[in-house]
Amino acid sequence: MLGAGAATPEKVLHLELSAAETGFDPVMTSDLNTASIEQQLFESLLTYDYLARPVKLIPRLAAAMPTVTDQGRTWVFGLKRGVYFSPDPVFKGQKREVTAQDVVYTLMRFMDPKNRSPYKFLVEGRIMGLDELGEAARSIGHFNYDAKIPGLEVLDRYTLKIRLKTTDYNFSHAMAQPMYGIVAREVIEGYAGDTASHPVGTGPYRLARWTRSSLMVLERNPNFRHEIWDFDPGSDPESQRIVAQMRGKTIPQIDRVEIQVIEESQSAWLSFGKGELDMIGLAGQFAPIALHGARLKPALAQRGIRLDRISDPSIAYYFINQQDPQLGGMSKERIALRRAIFMAQNDEEMIRVIHKGQAVRNAYPIPEGVAGADPGYRSLLDFNPGEANLLLDRMGYAKGADGYRRQPDGSPLAVRYTSSLSSQDRELDEMMKKALDRLSIRFESEKLKFPEILKAERQCRVQIRLSAWIADYPDGDNFMQLWYGPHTHENNGSCYQDPVWDRLYEKSLTMPDSPERDAIYHQLARLLELNGVTKVSTTHIRNVLFQPWVIGFKAHPILPSVWSLLDIDVNRVPQP
Amino acid sequence: MSAMTPEPSAGLWTLAWRRLQRDRVGMTALIVVGCYLLVVLLALMGWVATDWTREVGVNYAPPVFMADDQDETAQPSRVEQGPSGPIPLYGLQDPLAAELAAIRARHPGAQVFTEAPRRLSLPLGGDKWGHDVLTKVIKGSETSILVGLVAAVLATLLGTVMGAVAGYFGRWMDDALNWLYGVFTAIPYLLLVFAIAAVLQQKGVVTLVLILGLTGWTGVFRLVRAEYLKHKTREYVLAAGAMGASHARRMFIHILPNTSHVILVQLSQNVVGFIKSEVILSFLGFGVPVDVVSWGSMLNEAQNELILGKWWQLAAAGVAMAILVTAFSMLTDALRDALDPKLRY
Amino acid sequence: MNLAAFLFRRLWQMIPTMLGVVLLVFLLFNWVGGDPAYVLAGKMANPDDIANIRHQLGVDRPLWEQLLIFVRQIVTGDFGNSWATREPVSEIFRTRLGPSLVLLVPMLVLETFVAIVVALAVAALRGSVLDRTLMVTSTVMMSISLLIYIIVGQYVFASLLGWFPVKGWSDHLWRNLTTYAVLPILLGLMVSVAPSVRLYRTFILDEVGQDYVRTARAKGLSERRILLVHVLRNAAIPIVTNVLMGLPALLTGAFLLERFFAIPGIGREIIMAVERSDFPIIKAATVYVAMATLLANLLGDLLYRALDPRVHFE
Repeated sequence: MLGAGAATPEKVLHLELSAAETGFDPVMTSDLNTASIEQQLFESLLTYDYLARPVKLIPRLAAAMPTVTDQGRTWVFGLKRGVYFSPDPVFKGQKREVTAQDVVYTLMRFMDPKNRSPYKFLVEGRIMGLDELGEAARSIGHFNYDAKIPGLEVLDRYTLKIRLKTTDYNFSHAMAQPMYGIVAREVIEGYAGDTASHPVGTGPYRLARWTRSSLMVLERNPNFRHEIWDFDPGSDPESQRIVAQMRGKTIPQIDRVEIQVIEESQSAWLSFGKGELDMIGLAGQFAPIALHGARLKPALAQRGIRLDRISDPSIAYYFINQQDPQLGGMSKERIALRRAIFMAQNDEEMIRVIHKGQAVRNAYPIPEGVAGADPGYRSLLDFNPGEANLLLDRMGYAKGADGYRRQPDGSPLAVRYTSSLSSQDRELDEMMKKALDRLSIRFESEKLKFPEILKAERQCRVQIRLSAWIADYPDGDNFMQLWYGPHTHENNGSCYQDPVWDRLYEKSLTMPDSPERDAIYHQLARLLELNGVTKVSTTHIRNVLFQPWVIGFKAHPILPSVWSLLDIDVNRVPQP
Repeated sequence: MSAMTPEPSAGLWTLAWRRLQRDRVGMTALIVVGCYLLVVLLALMGWVATDWTREVGVNYAPPVFMADDQDETAQPSRVEQGPSGPIPLYGLQDPLAAELAAIRARHPGAQVFTEAPRRLSLPLGGDKWGHDVLTKVIKGSETSILVGLVAAVLATLLGTVMGAVAGYFGRWMDDALNWLYGVFTAIPYLLLVFAIAAVLQQKGVVTLVLILGLTGWTGVFRLVRAEYLKHKTREYVLAAGAMGASHARRMFIHILPNTSHVILVQLSQNVVGFIKSEVILSFLGFGVPVDVVSWGSMLNEAQNELILGKWWQLAAAGVAMAILVTAFSMLTDALRDALDPKLRY
Repeated sequence: MNLAAFLFRRLWQMIPTMLGVVLLVFLLFNWVGGDPAYVLAGKMANPDDIANIRHQLGVDRPLWEQLLIFVRQIVTGDFGNSWATREPVSEIFRTRLGPSLVLLVPMLVLETFVAIVVALAVAALRGSVLDRTLMVTSTVMMSISLLIYIIVGQYVFASLLGWFPVKGWSDHLWRNLTTYAVLPILLGLMVSVAPSVRLYRTFILDEVGQDYVRTARAKGLSERRILLVHVLRNAAIPIVTNVLMGLPALLTGAFLLERFFAIPGIGREIIMAVERSDFPIIKAATVYVAMATLLANLLGDLLYRALDPRVHFE
């Protein structure tokens, strides 16, 4: 793999994606796989510090953190100077600098109905005048990018003032998403209709080769500014080691990143074992080959392979549709039935058998590492089939002649569990069947393709499902909004509409992360349990394995990729 | 079948049986298939493998001959239950407070949920839940073979009736059915499967049978149609017509027995094909539901177990299936030889 | 009847079949094929967004209008863009066909070659122990699921023994052929050779019983010459036809190999499209494969008639 005549060998990082990318126009991106690549191609105004935990926002394209005034309603961003887009024929050989106008254009694109952006919710309803532009575009058929709106005001070439409709302390997190990477108008318009295959950003890499849904090759962006690796390690010894190896190096150190789509986890794991891949996110079901509990197995450790593991900022939670004719409603019987179903779920067994120990019991809607989390929270709905059965007995769910319980009014009872066609979900079916067996409730399985599950959920047609949510940004609100009444038909799959709950939630929105907000969050979480709406079950552990020659890696809970911050020890790379 | 077989062709079957008896490979295959069918019958009657859902072994219990190879996740569930202290309600009211208080008053103290002790090894090992793989293979045979048989009967029935109608009546009926045949064979199999699966929606074994049956009739149709085209102008059919036999009678009483060898061989081929297809359908997520076990579902489950070193489920299901399919294919060959001695293959 | 008239008639007959395919696929997938809008809208979409997406995709229009659009797409060959990735559908087929063919063509060639050699050997020695052994072996081989071959084969040959790369694909035909495609091809052969051997054996035995073989024997030609020259020449007709007609089905059938070995082929793309309810790709795949199947059948027929003097155009 030596470059022709090069004195130093090229540093190449080989990676895998477990599902195909969709295309590299950030405004149209919805999946983390694609975002992980866009993180390297484009730059947002802000980003997260590589090593700081809990995660901390730092400037990326912005010269400094924004000045926030007017109780979180006015934000002024100053841009770094001398930041250039990667070369592209559209620029006709000129170097194209990033200006405040580009930020305005980038933000406007999210409300353009033509782009049908999956991540527009982060700015929707927030910036003054922007939603109205989107509305207008729907009626007149095109989006007026030249409009001047009060919410987005260019103060000078490098300074932008954003005015929000209401107080919003999470706006800065939106500006750190890879989907909000800054693009140039002439590129988007020059490649209209095909923007997904012409990513032109300011990131450390650019897309050099792309075989769709198979291979992506990133190479250094020749226009990338001079940037030095400099992060503060804090007290973590591993971070200190990384800093000792990396501090002072220019970014990026790795010349090329090759990313291959490998859908079958057996193939990915075997590739890593042979050294064809430099890093791999260990699929849960393969954990026993590589890990002994939380540690790497000796055979792998001896080969110099290393492990970094963090708790994912995600939750897996059961919810029951509150509007379901059979399970929904606020009568005591129904509440008891739902709580009994939740109490029959054996989380310990799920962690041990399905996740092979690579998950932890987490009963709180906000996972560790996200503002507002409470690892000490105790659930009312822990596994307790004995009490669940007693509760059902007492509420009149008597067993019929066939041994299965019936409704208190004597009509038959069956619970329909909705899941996808994947083999992982088949294991979860087994868990749910066992749970319902413990209660002598008849189990029905509904297998749907993922798009159909979403549709059924949004139309409040699902009875019970195990769903998952991963943080878009590390704030509790990103999780609590999952049960907000007005989000029914959006992502409140439980279709829970409770004025008491909604009122409390709305109150939390006006507060920054604080003990007062935490107190409200605790009430919200407890209400979800008391009313039998949801049982938060587990949080996954992310295990990343990397080869001995990969330097500087530390898993980050929010950043989808950190490749530009790594290095490769070429002397340790095995020569073919 | 025998009711539809008129006297003269009984000789064909006797002769075929004698020829089959002389075929040693064929007879061996017949015995093997017979054994499997016996197992299916026993499982169907509920005499064996009824309790495959019981978790008798520890997780990934190894086969007895390698009993030392214990898995680290293998421990029975043991969970502390009941509150070990009051859980704060943050000033909220529990709607079930009264009921829970009454229950706890009658059943005081924390409970401990423990499972029955499990075996450390099993004859052919256990799966990730601790189900006995041997029992699963037996129960899986029942499902896979029944699915294969019923779907093959369905496909053969469809193909035969349509082939008979097309071949016998000809003209627009033939055109219409041929058109249908053309459409079904032109659509890629995979997409046809997805489409039919989507239409059926309903999950379960019936869906699987229908998917296989509705996509598998074309081969039978082609051959049966050709046979009917050949036979409908034969003297014995014309004679029957002259004596006033109805079309249906001529089609199904007179001609059918003379094409039965073709149909039987096709049926047998379909059984083999469908048993193999079930594996692929399981891989795609269209297999049996979770409360049913089949070879396909086992192989699909075991897909990731090989590199974990838990090869026994993959091996058990794979071998059980390979033996049956081999025997069935050989039986099909032997049947063909026996039924149609003019053929030299 | 002359060739042109025959061709014309056959092509004419394809139209109703294609119409049937189009109608069936359209109904099946439009009626029950899923609604991708909910996935495309992202994690926090509101009903307005869903409506906007449905409108842009055109799935909110009346069925007959959508059918008309579909027909127009077929006629123009422009199926628009993928709903999931916005890549032009034509581009998807153009770029994914290559890898599929790199996998399938060598597989088909090897399969045919091996099958003919074995079938000839078996036919020459029919009834012998070798014949029986080979037939039994081939039956056993085809009785094992492709899924097992792949899982075990990848583990043993690529990982444990390290003879092949575990997965991969490059832009270079030769590199693909000699490195990445080797193991998938061999594994594919394990299941595909046996049925061919069995089929070709019947073709060859069919010919062996013909009069001309007896004549040749009477003339004192060597058994080997008869088999290799005369018999094979005639048996080649059904063999070639068979290979040709099997090609389109293989195109979608190799998805297991493509997925496990990360080969960017058509089969994998179709599975992905179905999972994402990516209707434009599904429609195009069905139409293209159906057309290929019909054309392959026609070509097979033509070949059959051209090579075999006993068959006439009718």
